Amino acid sequence: MLKLFWAELKRDLTLQRRYMTEVIAAIAGIVIAFYGIFLTTRYVAGPGLEFGDRLDTLVVGYVLWSLATFIISDIAGGLQQEALTGTLEQLFLSPFRASTVFLVRALARLTIHLSENLIILLIIATLTRARLSFPPLLILPLISVLLGAYGLALAVGATALLLKRVQQLLGFLPFGLFFLLLVPTESWSGLFRPLGWLLPMAPGAGLLRDLIARGQALDGALLAIALLNGLGYFGLGVLLFRQAERVAKRRGKLAGY
Amino acid sequence: MLVLEARNLQKSYIDKGRSLQAVRDVSLSIPAGEVLAFLGPNGAGKTTTIKMIAGLIQPDAGWVRIVNHDPHTQADALRQVGAVLEGNRNVYWRLTPIENLEYFGALRGLKPRIARQRGEELLGRFNLRHKRNTVVQALSRGMQQKLAIAVALIHQPQLLLLDEPTLGLDVEATEEVKHLIRAIVQDGCAILLTTHQLAIAEELSDRIAIINQGELMVTADTDKLIRQFSGSAYRIDLEGAIDPLRQQKLATLDISVQNGRTLSDITPDLLYRVLEILQPLPLLRVEKDQATLTDVFLKLIREGIDA
Repeated sequence: MLKLFWAELKRDLTLQRRYMTEVIAAIAGIVIAFYGIFLTTRYVAGPGLEFGDRLDTLVVGYVLWSLATFIISDIAGGLQQEALTGTLEQLFLSPFRASTVFLVRALARLTIHLSENLIILLIIATLTRARLSFPPLLILPLISVLLGAYGLALAVGATALLLKRVQQLLGFLPFGLFFLLLVPTESWSGLFRPLGWLLPMAPGAGLLRDLIARGQALDGALLAIALLNGLGYFGLGVLLFRQAERVAKRRGKLAGY
Repeated sequence: MLVLEARNLQKSYIDKGRSLQAVRDVSLSIPAGEVLAFLGPNGAGKTTTIKMIAGLIQPDAGWVRIVNHDPHTQADALRQVGAVLEGNRNVYWRLTPIENLEYFGALRGLKPRIARQRGEELLGRFNLRHKRNTVVQALSRGMQQKLAIAVALIHQPQLLLLDEPTLGLDVEATEEVKHLIRAIVQDGCAILLTTHQLAIAEELSDRIAIINQGELMVTADTDKLIRQFSGSAYRIDLEGAIDPLRQQKLATLDISVQNGRTLSDITPDLLYRVLEILQPLPLLRVEKDQATLTDVFLKLIREGIDA
Protein backbone atom coordinates (compact mmCIF):
# COMPACT_ATOMS: atom_id res chain seq x y z
CA MET A 1 0.00 0.00 0.00
CA LEU A 2 2.86 2.33 0.91
CA LYS A 3 4.48 1.59 -2.48
CA LEU A 4 1.28 2.67 -4.16
CA PHE A 5 1.14 5.84 -2.06
CA TRP A 6 4.69 6.84 -3.09
CA ALA A 7 3.94 6.04 -6.73
CA GLU A 8 0.81 8.23 -6.58
CA LEU A 9 2.71 11.03 -4.84
CA LYS A 10 5.51 10.88 -7.39
CA ARG A 11 2.99 10.93 -10.26
CA ASP A 12 1.19 13.94 -8.75
CA LEU A 13 4.36 15.90 -8.06
CA THR A 14 5.56 15.22 -11.61
CA LEU A 15 2.27 16.47 -13.06
CA GLN A 16 2.21 19.53 -10.78
CA ARG A 17 5.74 20.46 -11.80
CA ARG A 18 5.09 19.82 -15.49
CA TYR A 19 1.81 21.73 -15.58
CA MET A 20 2.63 24.44 -13.02
CA THR A 21 0.56 27.07 -14.85
CA GLU A 22 -2.62 25.06 -14.17
CA VAL A 23 -1.78 24.99 -10.44
CA ILE A 24 -1.09 28.71 -10.35
CA ALA A 25 -4.33 29.41 -12.25
CA ALA A 26 -6.35 27.32 -9.77
CA ILE A 27 -4.83 29.11 -6.74
CA ALA A 28 -5.23 32.53 -8.36
CA GLY A 29 -8.87 31.76 -9.24
CA ILE A 30 -9.77 30.89 -5.65
CA VAL A 31 -7.93 33.90 -4.19
CA ILE A 32 -9.44 36.32 -6.73
CA ALA A 33 -12.95 34.95 -6.12
CA PHE A 34 -12.62 35.47 -2.36
CA TYR A 35 -11.08 38.91 -2.73
CA GLY A 36 -13.91 39.83 -5.09
CA ILE A 37 -16.51 38.78 -2.49
CA PHE A 38 -14.57 40.65 0.22
CA LEU A 39 -14.33 43.91 -1.78
CA THR A 40 -17.98 43.73 -2.88
CA THR A 41 -19.17 43.21 0.69
CA ARG A 42 -17.06 46.15 1.88
CA TYR A 43 -18.41 48.35 -0.93
CA VAL A 44 -22.05 47.40 -0.24
CA ALA A 45 -21.67 47.84 3.54
CA GLY A 46 -19.92 51.18 3.22
CA PRO A 47 -16.74 52.63 4.78
CA GLY A 48 -17.84 52.17 8.40
CA LEU A 49 -17.94 48.36 8.12
CA GLU A 50 -16.26 46.39 10.90
CA PHE A 51 -15.96 42.64 10.25
CA GLY A 52 -14.60 41.69 13.71
CA ASP A 53 -13.91 37.93 14.01
CA ARG A 54 -16.54 37.26 11.34
CA LEU A 55 -13.94 37.94 8.64
CA ASP A 56 -11.52 35.51 10.29
CA THR A 57 -14.16 32.78 10.48
CA LEU A 58 -15.10 33.47 6.86
CA VAL A 59 -11.47 33.07 5.79
CA VAL A 60 -11.20 29.73 7.62
CA GLY A 61 -14.49 28.52 6.12
CA TYR A 62 -13.49 29.64 2.63
CA VAL A 63 -10.11 27.88 2.76
CA LEU A 64 -11.79 24.70 4.06
CA TRP A 65 -14.27 25.02 1.22
CA SER A 66 -11.49 25.24 -1.35
CA LEU A 67 -9.76 22.20 0.25
CA ALA A 68 -12.97 20.12 0.17
CA THR A 69 -13.70 21.24 -3.40
CA PHE A 70 -10.20 20.17 -4.47
CA ILE A 71 -10.60 16.77 -2.81
CA ILE A 72 -14.05 16.03 -4.22
CA SER A 73 -13.35 17.21 -7.74
CA ASP A 74 -10.11 15.23 -7.63
CA ILE A 75 -11.81 11.89 -7.04
CA ALA A 76 -15.08 12.43 -8.93
CA GLY A 77 -13.67 14.64 -11.69
CA GLY A 78 -10.57 12.46 -11.97
CA LEU A 79 -12.70 9.36 -12.35
CA GLN A 80 -14.79 11.01 -15.05
CA GLN A 81 -11.63 12.19 -16.81
CA GLU A 82 -10.07 8.73 -16.67
CA ALA A 83 -13.23 7.21 -18.13
CA LEU A 84 -13.04 9.77 -20.93
CA THR A 85 -9.34 9.28 -21.68
CA GLY A 86 -9.46 5.51 -21.27
CA THR A 87 -7.19 4.73 -18.33
CA LEU A 88 -9.97 3.92 -15.86
CA GLU A 89 -10.12 0.21 -16.65
CA GLN A 90 -6.38 -0.14 -16.12
CA LEU A 91 -6.93 1.05 -12.53
CA PHE A 92 -9.52 -1.69 -12.04
CA LEU A 93 -7.00 -4.27 -13.29
CA SER A 94 -4.86 -3.56 -10.24
CA PRO A 95 -4.67 -6.24 -7.54
CA PHE A 96 -5.50 -3.40 -5.11
CA ARG A 97 -9.23 -2.68 -4.82
CA ALA A 98 -10.37 0.27 -6.90
CA SER A 99 -11.66 2.10 -3.82
CA THR A 100 -8.21 1.61 -2.25
CA VAL A 101 -6.49 2.97 -5.35
CA PHE A 102 -8.69 6.07 -5.39
CA LEU A 103 -8.29 6.66 -1.66
CA VAL A 104 -4.50 6.23 -1.73
CA ARG A 105 -4.44 8.56 -4.73
CA ALA A 106 -6.52 11.11 -2.82
CA LEU A 107 -4.28 10.83 0.25
CA ALA A 108 -1.20 11.39 -1.88
CA ARG A 109 -2.91 14.41 -3.38
CA LEU A 110 -3.70 15.67 0.11
CA THR A 111 -0.10 16.70 0.69
CA ILE A 112 -0.33 18.82 -2.45
CA HIS A 113 -3.80 20.16 -1.59
CA LEU A 114 -2.67 21.13 1.90
CA SER A 115 0.33 23.00 0.49
CA GLU A 116 -1.85 24.77 -2.08
CA ASN A 117 -4.41 25.69 0.57
CA LEU A 118 -1.74 26.97 2.89
CA ILE A 119 -0.64 29.32 0.10
CA ILE A 120 -4.27 30.35 -0.47
CA LEU A 121 -4.74 30.95 3.25
CA LEU A 122 -1.59 33.04 3.53
CA ILE A 123 -2.50 35.21 0.51
CA ILE A 124 -6.10 35.73 1.65
CA ALA A 125 -5.04 36.45 5.25
CA THR A 126 -2.50 38.99 3.99
CA LEU A 127 -4.98 40.67 1.63
CA THR A 128 -7.78 40.88 4.20
CA ARG A 129 -5.56 41.32 7.27
CA ALA A 130 -7.38 38.48 8.99
CA ARG A 131 -5.96 37.54 12.41
CA LEU A 132 -5.58 33.78 12.60
CA SER A 133 -3.87 31.45 15.04
CA PHE A 134 -2.76 27.89 14.29
CA PRO A 135 -2.62 25.73 17.44
CA PRO A 136 -1.32 22.18 16.79
CA LEU A 137 -4.63 20.74 18.05
CA LEU A 138 -6.33 21.98 14.91
CA ILE A 139 -5.14 18.78 13.26
CA LEU A 140 -7.93 16.84 15.03
CA PRO A 141 -10.97 18.74 13.71
CA LEU A 142 -9.14 19.05 10.38
CA ILE A 143 -8.99 15.23 10.20
CA SER A 144 -12.74 15.07 10.81
CA VAL A 145 -13.35 17.53 7.96
CA LEU A 146 -11.02 15.58 5.67
CA LEU A 147 -12.76 12.28 6.49
CA GLY A 148 -16.09 13.86 5.62
CA ALA A 149 -14.66 15.35 2.42
CA TYR A 150 -13.25 11.97 1.34
CA GLY A 151 -16.58 10.31 2.16
CA LEU A 152 -18.45 12.81 -0.01
CA ALA A 153 -15.77 12.49 -2.71
CA LEU A 154 -16.24 8.71 -2.82
CA ALA A 155 -20.02 9.13 -2.91
CA VAL A 156 -19.78 11.54 -5.85
CA GLY A 157 -17.13 9.22 -7.34
CA ALA A 158 -19.64 6.36 -7.08
CA THR A 159 -22.12 8.45 -9.06
CA ALA A 160 -19.41 9.24 -11.61
CA LEU A 161 -18.61 5.54 -11.92
CA LEU A 162 -22.20 4.75 -12.85
CA LEU A 163 -23.18 7.84 -14.82
CA LYS A 164 -19.76 9.04 -16.03
CA ARG A 165 -21.12 12.47 -16.89
CA VAL A 166 -21.33 14.31 -13.59
CA GLN A 167 -20.47 17.83 -14.74
CA GLN A 168 -23.87 19.10 -13.56
CA LEU A 169 -23.35 17.60 -10.12
CA LEU A 170 -19.77 18.87 -9.93
CA GLY A 171 -21.01 22.30 -10.99
CA PHE A 172 -23.59 22.35 -8.21
CA LEU A 173 -21.30 20.84 -5.59
CA PRO A 174 -19.26 23.96 -4.67
CA PHE A 175 -22.48 25.74 -3.69
CA GLY A 176 -23.49 22.87 -1.41
CA LEU A 177 -20.01 22.81 0.11
CA PHE A 178 -20.17 26.58 0.51
CA PHE A 179 -23.20 26.10 2.74
CA LEU A 180 -21.66 23.22 4.71
CA LEU A 181 -18.34 24.90 5.37
CA LEU A 182 -19.11 28.61 5.59
CA VAL A 183 -22.41 28.66 7.46
CA PRO A 184 -21.56 28.88 11.23
CA THR A 185 -23.58 25.84 12.35
CA GLU A 186 -21.71 26.00 15.68
CA SER A 187 -23.76 29.08 16.53
CA TRP A 188 -27.10 27.36 15.78
CA SER A 189 -29.30 26.75 18.79
CA GLY A 190 -32.31 24.67 19.79
CA LEU A 191 -33.37 21.89 17.41
CA PHE A 192 -31.03 23.17 14.72
CA ARG A 193 -27.95 22.46 16.87
CA PRO A 194 -28.06 18.61 16.48
CA LEU A 195 -28.97 19.08 12.81
CA GLY A 196 -25.69 20.96 12.38
CA TRP A 197 -23.86 18.00 13.93
CA LEU A 198 -25.34 15.67 11.29
CA LEU A 199 -24.33 17.74 8.27
CA PRO A 200 -21.17 16.44 6.56
CA MET A 201 -17.99 18.24 7.67
CA ALA A 202 -19.96 20.99 9.44
CA PRO A 203 -19.02 20.10 13.09
CA GLY A 204 -15.31 19.93 12.22
CA ALA A 205 -15.47 23.19 10.28
CA GLY A 206 -17.15 24.86 13.29
CA LEU A 207 -14.40 23.64 15.61
CA LEU A 208 -11.72 24.90 13.22
CA ARG A 209 -13.37 28.34 13.19
CA ASP A 210 -13.40 28.31 17.01
CA LEU A 211 -9.73 27.36 17.16
CA ILE A 212 -8.22 29.40 14.33
CA ALA A 213 -10.41 32.49 14.11
CA ARG A 214 -11.92 32.89 17.58
CA GLY A 215 -8.94 31.61 19.56
CA GLN A 216 -11.14 29.31 21.68
CA ALA A 217 -10.01 26.06 23.34
CA LEU A 218 -10.86 22.71 21.76
CA ASP A 219 -14.12 21.24 23.11
CA GLY A 220 -13.63 17.46 23.64
CA ALA A 221 -17.32 16.55 23.27
CA LEU A 222 -17.70 18.54 20.07
CA LEU A 223 -14.49 16.99 18.76
CA ALA A 224 -15.92 13.50 19.39
CA ILE A 225 -19.07 14.51 17.46
CA ALA A 226 -16.95 15.91 14.63
CA LEU A 227 -14.83 12.74 14.40
CA LEU A 228 -17.90 10.49 14.49
CA ASN A 229 -19.46 12.64 11.79
CA GLY A 230 -16.29 12.33 9.64
CA LEU A 231 -15.99 8.59 10.14
CA GLY A 232 -19.68 8.10 9.39
CA TYR A 233 -19.56 9.95 6.08
CA PHE A 234 -16.24 8.31 5.18
CA GLY A 235 -17.67 4.83 5.82
CA LEU A 236 -20.78 5.69 3.84
CA GLY A 237 -18.64 6.92 0.94
CA VAL A 238 -16.57 3.72 0.87
CA LEU A 239 -19.74 1.59 0.95
CA LEU A 240 -21.38 3.56 -1.86
CA PHE A 241 -18.23 3.39 -4.00
CA ARG A 242 -17.90 -0.38 -3.58
CA GLN A 243 -21.58 -0.83 -4.37
CA ALA A 244 -21.23 1.36 -7.47
CA GLU A 245 -18.21 -0.71 -8.57
CA ARG A 246 -20.28 -3.90 -8.28
CA VAL A 247 -23.19 -2.38 -10.21
CA ALA A 248 -20.88 -0.96 -12.92
CA LYS A 249 -19.25 -4.38 -13.37
CA ARG A 250 -22.65 -6.06 -13.53
CA ARG A 251 -23.93 -3.57 -16.10
CA GLY A 252 -20.65 -3.58 -18.04
CA LYS A 253 -20.40 0.18 -17.63
CA LEU A 254 -16.99 0.53 -16.07
CA ALA A 255 -15.44 2.20 -19.08
CA GLY A 256 -18.43 3.51 -21.00
CA TYR A 257 -18.59 7.24 -21.40
CA MET B 1 -0.41 -25.68 -18.34
CA LEU B 2 -3.60 -23.74 -18.93
CA VAL B 3 -3.09 -20.06 -18.21
CA LEU B 4 -6.67 -19.10 -19.04
CA GLU B 5 -9.75 -21.20 -18.62
CA ALA B 6 -13.18 -19.65 -19.13
CA ARG B 7 -16.26 -21.84 -19.05
CA ASN B 8 -19.85 -21.22 -20.16
CA LEU B 9 -19.66 -17.43 -19.89
CA GLN B 10 -22.98 -15.67 -20.31
CA LYS B 11 -23.86 -11.99 -20.25
CA SER B 12 -27.07 -10.12 -20.97
CA TYR B 13 -27.74 -6.42 -20.92
CA ILE B 14 -30.99 -4.57 -20.58
CA ASP B 15 -31.35 -2.13 -23.46
CA LYS B 16 -34.46 0.06 -23.61
CA GLY B 17 -36.37 -2.43 -21.47
CA ARG B 18 -35.34 -5.40 -23.63
CA SER B 19 -32.88 -8.07 -22.58
CA LEU B 20 -30.03 -8.39 -25.06
CA GLN B 21 -27.89 -11.51 -24.80
CA ALA B 22 -24.35 -10.33 -25.58
CA VAL B 23 -22.48 -13.56 -24.78
CA ARG B 24 -23.98 -17.08 -24.71
CA ASP B 25 -22.18 -20.01 -23.21
CA VAL B 26 -18.68 -19.09 -24.38
CA SER B 27 -15.78 -21.30 -23.28
CA LEU B 28 -12.14 -20.55 -24.05
CA SER B 29 -8.80 -21.83 -22.85
CA ILE B 30 -5.22 -20.87 -23.63
CA PRO B 31 -2.08 -22.71 -22.54
CA ALA B 32 1.23 -20.93 -21.90
CA GLY B 33 3.09 -19.78 -25.01
CA GLU B 34 0.06 -19.80 -27.29
CA VAL B 35 -1.85 -17.10 -29.18
CA LEU B 36 -5.60 -17.53 -29.46
CA ALA B 37 -7.12 -15.20 -32.04
CA PHE B 38 -10.63 -14.36 -30.93
CA LEU B 39 -12.50 -13.17 -34.01
CA GLY B 40 -15.96 -11.96 -34.80
CA PRO B 41 -17.86 -9.14 -36.48
CA ASN B 42 -18.60 -5.90 -34.63
CA GLY B 43 -21.00 -6.46 -31.74
CA ALA B 44 -20.37 -10.22 -31.71
CA GLY B 45 -19.43 -10.22 -28.01
CA LYS B 46 -15.62 -10.19 -28.20
CA THR B 47 -15.00 -7.18 -25.96
CA THR B 48 -17.62 -8.27 -23.41
CA THR B 49 -15.95 -11.69 -23.24
CA ILE B 50 -12.46 -10.18 -22.85
CA LYS B 51 -13.69 -7.88 -20.10
CA MET B 52 -15.37 -10.77 -18.29
CA ILE B 53 -12.03 -12.59 -18.46
CA ALA B 54 -10.22 -9.52 -17.07
CA GLY B 55 -12.69 -9.17 -14.21
CA LEU B 56 -14.03 -5.86 -15.55
CA ILE B 57 -17.52 -7.18 -16.31
CA GLN B 58 -19.35 -9.59 -14.04
CA PRO B 59 -20.69 -12.61 -15.99
CA ASP B 60 -24.31 -13.64 -15.40
CA ALA B 61 -23.17 -17.25 -15.45
CA GLY B 62 -20.00 -19.22 -16.02
CA TRP B 63 -16.55 -18.81 -14.55
CA VAL B 64 -13.03 -17.65 -15.35
CA ARG B 65 -9.72 -18.94 -13.97
CA ILE B 66 -6.41 -17.26 -14.64
CA VAL B 67 -3.62 -19.54 -13.45
CA ASN B 68 -6.26 -21.18 -11.26
CA HIS B 69 -7.44 -17.88 -9.73
CA ASP B 70 -10.76 -16.13 -10.20
CA PRO B 71 -10.22 -12.53 -11.43
CA HIS B 72 -13.59 -11.52 -9.97
CA THR B 73 -12.75 -12.48 -6.41
CA GLN B 74 -9.00 -13.10 -6.11
CA ALA B 75 -6.45 -10.30 -6.45
CA ASP B 76 -3.79 -12.87 -7.34
CA ALA B 77 -5.54 -13.47 -10.66
CA LEU B 78 -5.03 -9.80 -11.59
CA ARG B 79 -1.29 -10.11 -10.92
CA GLN B 80 -1.23 -12.52 -13.87
CA VAL B 81 -3.15 -10.37 -16.37
CA GLY B 82 -2.01 -7.54 -18.59
CA ALA B 83 -4.43 -5.89 -20.98
CA VAL B 84 -4.41 -3.43 -23.83
CA LEU B 85 -8.04 -2.57 -24.40
CA GLU B 86 -9.44 -1.25 -27.64
CA GLY B 87 -10.49 2.39 -27.85
CA ASN B 88 -8.55 3.21 -24.69
CA ARG B 89 -5.38 5.13 -24.31
CA ASN B 90 -4.36 2.67 -21.60
CA VAL B 91 -1.53 5.01 -20.47
CA TYR B 92 -1.31 8.57 -19.09
CA TRP B 93 -0.61 11.00 -21.90
CA ARG B 94 0.84 13.66 -19.61
CA LEU B 95 3.51 11.32 -18.29
CA THR B 96 6.60 10.03 -20.07
CA PRO B 97 7.02 6.34 -21.01
CA ILE B 98 9.30 5.59 -18.04
CA GLU B 99 6.96 7.44 -15.64
CA ASN B 100 4.01 5.40 -16.95
CA LEU B 101 5.94 2.15 -16.57
CA GLU B 102 7.00 3.00 -13.02
CA TYR B 103 3.51 4.11 -12.02
CA PHE B 104 1.69 1.08 -13.47
CA GLY B 105 4.38 -1.17 -11.99
CA ALA B 106 3.46 0.12 -8.52
CA LEU B 107 -0.24 -0.18 -9.36
CA ARG B 108 0.36 -3.86 -10.16
CA GLY B 109 2.15 -4.31 -6.82
CA LEU B 110 5.84 -4.05 -7.82
CA LYS B 111 8.51 -2.40 -5.68
CA PRO B 112 9.69 0.94 -7.13
CA ARG B 113 13.20 -0.39 -7.85
CA ILE B 114 11.85 -3.45 -9.68
CA ALA B 115 9.31 -1.35 -11.60
CA ARG B 116 12.07 1.02 -12.75
CA GLN B 117 14.39 -1.83 -13.70
CA ARG B 118 11.70 -3.66 -15.68
CA GLY B 119 10.55 -0.39 -17.21
CA GLU B 120 14.06 0.29 -18.52
CA GLU B 121 14.31 -3.26 -19.88
CA LEU B 122 10.96 -2.96 -21.66
CA LEU B 123 11.87 0.43 -23.13
CA GLY B 124 14.97 -1.16 -24.62
CA ARG B 125 13.15 -4.22 -25.87
CA PHE B 126 10.34 -2.14 -27.40
CA ASN B 127 12.83 0.27 -28.99
CA LEU B 128 11.48 3.23 -26.99
CA ARG B 129 14.56 4.10 -24.95
CA HIS B 130 15.24 7.24 -27.00
CA LYS B 131 11.72 8.44 -26.07
CA ARG B 132 11.87 7.53 -22.38
CA ASN B 133 11.56 11.19 -21.29
CA THR B 134 9.09 12.42 -23.92
CA VAL B 135 5.51 12.92 -22.77
CA VAL B 136 3.26 10.28 -24.30
CA GLN B 137 1.01 12.77 -26.09
CA ALA B 138 4.03 13.77 -28.21
CA LEU B 139 4.70 10.17 -29.34
CA SER B 140 3.46 8.65 -32.59
CA ARG B 141 0.40 6.37 -32.50
CA GLY B 142 2.63 3.35 -33.04
CA MET B 143 4.92 4.30 -30.15
CA GLN B 144 1.92 4.91 -27.88
CA GLN B 145 0.60 1.46 -28.72
CA LYS B 146 3.98 -0.17 -28.11
CA LEU B 147 4.14 1.63 -24.77
CA ALA B 148 0.63 0.40 -23.87
CA ILE B 149 1.79 -3.17 -24.52
CA ALA B 150 4.98 -2.58 -22.51
CA VAL B 151 2.92 -1.21 -19.60
CA ALA B 152 0.67 -4.28 -19.77
CA LEU B 153 3.78 -6.44 -19.41
CA ILE B 154 5.46 -4.51 -16.58
CA HIS B 155 4.44 -7.08 -13.94
CA GLN B 156 5.35 -10.03 -16.19
CA PRO B 157 1.81 -11.42 -16.45
CA GLN B 158 1.19 -14.91 -17.75
CA LEU B 159 -1.85 -13.79 -19.72
CA LEU B 160 -1.92 -10.82 -22.08
CA LEU B 161 -5.24 -9.59 -23.46
CA LEU B 162 -4.80 -7.61 -26.67
CA ASP B 163 -7.96 -6.03 -28.02
CA GLU B 164 -7.24 -4.68 -31.53
CA PRO B 165 -3.55 -3.95 -30.84
CA THR B 166 -2.80 -2.89 -34.43
CA LEU B 167 -5.89 -0.75 -35.02
CA GLY B 168 -4.96 2.55 -36.67
CA LEU B 169 -1.26 1.73 -36.95
CA ASP B 170 0.74 2.25 -40.14
CA VAL B 171 2.44 -0.66 -41.89
CA GLU B 172 5.79 -0.24 -40.13
CA ALA B 173 4.27 0.07 -36.66
CA THR B 174 2.01 -2.93 -37.35
CA GLU B 175 5.06 -5.01 -38.28
CA GLU B 176 6.82 -3.91 -35.09
CA VAL B 177 3.82 -4.84 -32.93
CA LYS B 178 3.56 -8.23 -34.67
CA HIS B 179 7.25 -8.84 -34.03
CA LEU B 180 6.77 -7.94 -30.35
CA ILE B 181 3.77 -10.26 -29.99
CA ARG B 182 5.83 -13.14 -31.37
CA ALA B 183 8.64 -12.35 -28.92
CA ILE B 184 6.23 -12.14 -25.95
CA VAL B 185 4.74 -15.55 -26.82
CA GLN B 186 8.23 -17.06 -27.07
CA ASP B 187 8.74 -15.98 -23.47
CA GLY B 188 5.85 -18.25 -22.51
CA CYS B 189 3.06 -15.68 -22.19
CA ALA B 190 -0.43 -16.74 -23.30
CA ILE B 191 -2.14 -14.16 -25.51
CA LEU B 192 -5.78 -13.60 -26.28
CA LEU B 193 -5.83 -11.46 -29.41
CA THR B 194 -8.81 -9.83 -31.05
CA THR B 195 -8.42 -8.12 -34.37
CA HIS B 196 -10.39 -7.35 -37.50
CA GLN B 197 -7.17 -7.66 -39.50
CA LEU B 198 -7.53 -11.34 -40.31
CA ALA B 199 -4.18 -11.61 -42.07
CA ILE B 200 -2.53 -10.63 -38.77
CA ALA B 201 -4.61 -13.18 -36.86
CA GLU B 202 -3.65 -15.85 -39.40
CA GLU B 203 0.01 -14.94 -39.12
CA LEU B 204 0.23 -14.76 -35.32
CA SER B 205 -2.25 -17.24 -33.91
CA ASP B 206 -1.88 -20.88 -32.97
CA ARG B 207 -5.61 -21.27 -32.57
CA ILE B 208 -8.70 -19.43 -33.70
CA ALA B 209 -12.02 -18.91 -31.95
CA ILE B 210 -14.81 -17.28 -33.96
CA ILE B 211 -17.78 -15.73 -32.20
CA ASN B 212 -20.94 -14.42 -33.80
CA GLN B 213 -24.05 -13.00 -32.15
CA GLY B 214 -22.63 -13.97 -28.76
CA GLU B 215 -22.11 -17.63 -29.64
CA LEU B 216 -18.83 -19.38 -30.25
CA MET B 217 -19.01 -20.87 -33.75
CA VAL B 218 -15.68 -22.63 -33.91
CA THR B 219 -12.47 -23.13 -31.94
CA ALA B 220 -9.68 -24.86 -33.82
CA ASP B 221 -5.97 -24.86 -34.64
CA THR B 222 -5.37 -22.09 -37.18
CA ASP B 223 -3.55 -24.36 -39.66
CA LYS B 224 -6.12 -27.14 -39.41
CA LEU B 225 -9.02 -24.74 -39.84
CA ILE B 226 -7.49 -23.19 -42.95
CA ARG B 227 -6.67 -26.64 -44.36
CA GLN B 228 -10.21 -27.74 -43.68
CA PHE B 229 -11.57 -24.91 -45.77
CA SER B 230 -8.94 -25.23 -48.49
CA GLY B 231 -9.56 -27.23 -51.67
CA SER B 232 -7.28 -29.89 -53.11
CA ALA B 233 -7.09 -28.51 -56.66
CA TYR B 234 -4.07 -26.71 -58.11
CA ARG B 235 -3.71 -23.60 -60.19
CA ILE B 236 -0.87 -22.87 -62.62
CA ASP B 237 0.15 -19.46 -63.97
CA LEU B 238 2.53 -19.23 -66.90
CA GLU B 239 4.68 -16.32 -67.92
CA GLY B 240 3.50 -16.36 -71.54
CA ALA B 241 0.49 -17.50 -73.54
CA ILE B 242 -0.14 -21.22 -74.11
CA ASP B 243 -0.06 -22.22 -77.78
CA PRO B 244 -3.23 -23.74 -79.44
CA LEU B 245 -1.66 -27.24 -79.70
CA ARG B 246 -1.08 -27.44 -75.93
CA GLN B 247 -4.53 -25.98 -75.31
CA GLN B 248 -6.03 -28.83 -77.31
CA LYS B 249 -4.09 -31.40 -75.29
CA LEU B 250 -5.26 -29.78 -72.08
CA ALA B 251 -8.85 -29.84 -73.30
CA THR B 252 -8.65 -33.62 -73.57
CA LEU B 253 -7.98 -33.62 -69.80
CA ASP B 254 -11.00 -31.34 -69.37
CA ILE B 255 -8.83 -28.41 -68.32
CA SER B 256 -9.57 -25.02 -69.77
CA VAL B 257 -7.20 -22.11 -70.13
CA GLN B 258 -8.13 -18.69 -68.79
CA ASN B 259 -6.61 -15.49 -70.15
CA GLY B 260 -4.34 -17.61 -72.33
CA ARG B 261 -1.95 -18.31 -69.46
CA THR B 262 -3.81 -19.55 -66.34
CA LEU B 263 -4.99 -23.07 -65.61
CA SER B 264 -7.18 -23.79 -62.59
CA ASP B 265 -9.10 -26.63 -60.95
CA ILE B 266 -6.35 -29.14 -61.70
CA THR B 267 -6.92 -32.21 -59.56
CA PRO B 268 -3.83 -33.72 -57.87
CA ASP B 269 -3.88 -36.83 -60.12
CA LEU B 270 -3.68 -34.65 -63.24
CA LEU B 271 -1.03 -32.23 -62.01
CA TYR B 272 2.07 -33.96 -63.40
CA ARG B 273 0.37 -34.81 -66.73
CA VAL B 274 -0.51 -31.14 -67.11
CA LEU B 275 3.06 -30.16 -66.26
CA GLU B 276 4.34 -32.60 -68.92
CA ILE B 277 2.11 -30.94 -71.52
CA LEU B 278 3.32 -27.50 -70.50
CA GLN B 279 7.00 -28.42 -70.55
CA PRO B 280 9.21 -26.40 -71.30
CA LEU B 281 7.04 -23.24 -71.06
CA PRO B 282 8.26 -20.90 -68.28
CA LEU B 283 6.02 -21.11 -65.19
CA LEU B 284 5.16 -18.16 -62.99
CA ARG B 285 3.67 -20.16 -60.08
CA VAL B 286 2.06 -23.46 -59.16
CA GLU B 287 -0.14 -23.23 -56.10
CA LYS B 288 -2.66 -25.30 -54.23
CA ASP B 289 -6.11 -23.85 -53.72
CA GLN B 290 -5.42 -22.43 -50.23
CA ALA B 291 -8.16 -20.69 -48.26
CA THR B 292 -7.23 -17.62 -46.26
CA LEU B 293 -8.53 -16.91 -42.80
CA THR B 294 -10.70 -14.23 -44.42
CA ASP B 295 -12.37 -16.93 -46.60
CA VAL B 296 -12.91 -19.15 -43.55
CA PHE B 297 -14.21 -16.29 -41.43
CA LEU B 298 -16.67 -15.02 -44.05
CA LYS B 299 -17.93 -18.51 -44.82
CA LEU B 300 -18.55 -19.30 -41.16
CA ILE B 301 -20.14 -15.96 -40.41
CA ARG B 302 -22.43 -16.15 -43.47
CA GLU B 303 -23.39 -19.73 -42.69
CA GLY B 304 -24.12 -18.66 -39.15
CA ILE B 305 -26.33 -15.83 -40.34
CA ASP B 306 -28.14 -18.10 -42.85
CA ALA B 307 -28.66 -20.75 -40.18
